Amino acid sequence: MIGPDDLWWVLLIKCGVLVVFLLTAFAYLTLAERKISARIQLRYGPNRVGPFGMLQPAADGLKLFFKENVAPAQRDKVLYLVGPSLAGGAALLAYAVIPWGTNNWFGHEFHWDIAHVNVGLLFILGITSLGVYSLFLGGFASNSKYSLLGGLRSSAQLISYEMAVSFALIGVVILSGSLDLEKIVGSQQGLWFIVLQPLAFILYFTAAFAETNRLPFDLPEAETELIAGYHTEYSAMRFGLYFLGEYINMVTVCSIATALFLGGWLPLLPFHPFDWIPGPIWFLGKVGVLLFVMIWVRWTLPRLRYDRLMNFGWKVLLPLGLINIVITGAVVALRA
Amino acid sequence: MTVLFAIAIVLAAVSSLGVVLSRQTIYSALSLVLTVGMLAVLFLLLNAQFLFAVQLIIYAGAVMVLFIFIVALLSPDAEDRPTLDLRAVIGILGVVVVTGLVFVAARNGITYNTNGFHAVAVGGASNPYHTFSFPPDAVNNAGNVQTVAGQLFTNYLLPFEITSMLLLVAAIGAVYLTRRSSQ
Repeated sequence: MIGPDDLWWVLLIKCGVLVVFLLTAFAYLTLAERKISARIQLRYGPNRVGPFGMLQPAADGLKLFFKENVAPAQRDKVLYLVGPSLAGGAALLAYAVIPWGTNNWFGHEFHWDIAHVNVGLLFILGITSLGVYSLFLGGFASNSKYSLLGGLRSSAQLISYEMAVSFALIGVVILSGSLDLEKIVGSQQGLWFIVLQPLAFILYFTAAFAETNRLPFDLPEAETELIAGYHTEYSAMRFGLYFLGEYINMVTVCSIATALFLGGWLPLLPFHPFDWIPGPIWFLGKVGVLLFVMIWVRWTLPRLRYDRLMNFGWKVLLPLGLINIVITGAVVALRA
Repeated sequence: MTVLFAIAIVLAAVSSLGVVLSRQTIYSALSLVLTVGMLAVLFLLLNAQFLFAVQLIIYAGAVMVLFIFIVALLSPDAEDRPTLDLRAVIGILGVVVVTGLVFVAARNGITYNTNGFHAVAVGGASNPYHTFSFPPDAVNNAGNVQTVAGQLFTNYLLPFEITSMLLLVAAIGAVYLTRRSSQ
């Protein structure tokens, strides 16, 4: 039977909707970041462009597009352009397999994701592990001290915290018995995995800050030490692409956390009136809450020193992740 | 599908040439990343999604990042472009001969039919020790990971455990070598 997922124009519409959604999310995340940071610091934040500053992202976008591209003369011409393109591309690509829900329309099953991969979780880990190249190449190709240091830091940091991320996710995989994101969400019917795996959730969310280079783990672009780290020498829309990659990565890690720990598109309680709200709305709502926490943390905590960051990753997050795997595995094996 | 396959093949071939012929070490390393990525795409086109993800995570995401990290830290000078001397000619001849042999072996030795992959001895008689029956549809129904894990933890448990011991030994050895003696 040919379902709507097999039609090429349905796929095309899905891709279009997703790209528009991600770009809008990026634009308004920057506004949210500025507004929330302003409230935390007892300021108003942007409030001149449009009502409540709602058109500020459009103004920022126009500015980025029309600014002059200033580039260092001694740069590596090819790699200098590959860096930002990879940053934007990898961030968009990773979102292709994240499911927002399923619907049954006219007897056809409709999936709210672009590609249904039965190793969806591994796919996301694979694509995000490519994201490190964008940061590193940008830093390397700029031919500047600060950029290179930022790039080196980013690759060391991302490799270290990738381990912590994967180890935190294994507990969920053991419980649900699948790497398929839709099945993982489905197996949380009734009880979200954050209840069964609180440690894994904390580990994942902590490591996610490092994966997205957010404070308190934003060592690759620490302003006080490295000016702007790997994107010091980028301007205009090339800088904009790095910016875009960072914010879309935030959406991605929050979406993964939602799908794996917060029950994805499942309602808060499995009865009326909660299940009148459609699944994708629940999903986006939960993602929104997590995004708010990420912004909140950024404007609350100070930055870690570089060696402490490494120690924290390897000597705290990683052993805790291992302990979590052993305990989860033992409990599942004993109950079976 | 065929178009994607062709693109992946051509990119893999071109980038692996780039690994050898680039004058800048960093370009060699990045070409290797592209080769690895294209191999991953080939795995995906062959319905081996698990191998695709593992290839990306391990090789492109971890091993090659370390390579490039080292290259950028040491920043070696540009190398001389390899010249066409006797050694190069012999090397190219060797590559051509090996490619031809692999091609012939693939045409005759390993055949593909609807029942799955069968490694058939070149003489024609099938070798019972080399018969794999994993048709793509069945693998996808059971799940890629589940099939691989099922084989790995039953038929190939001993090699698997020995390999993991070897990796552990290598890791401990690396840690020992990098530690300065604390006297």
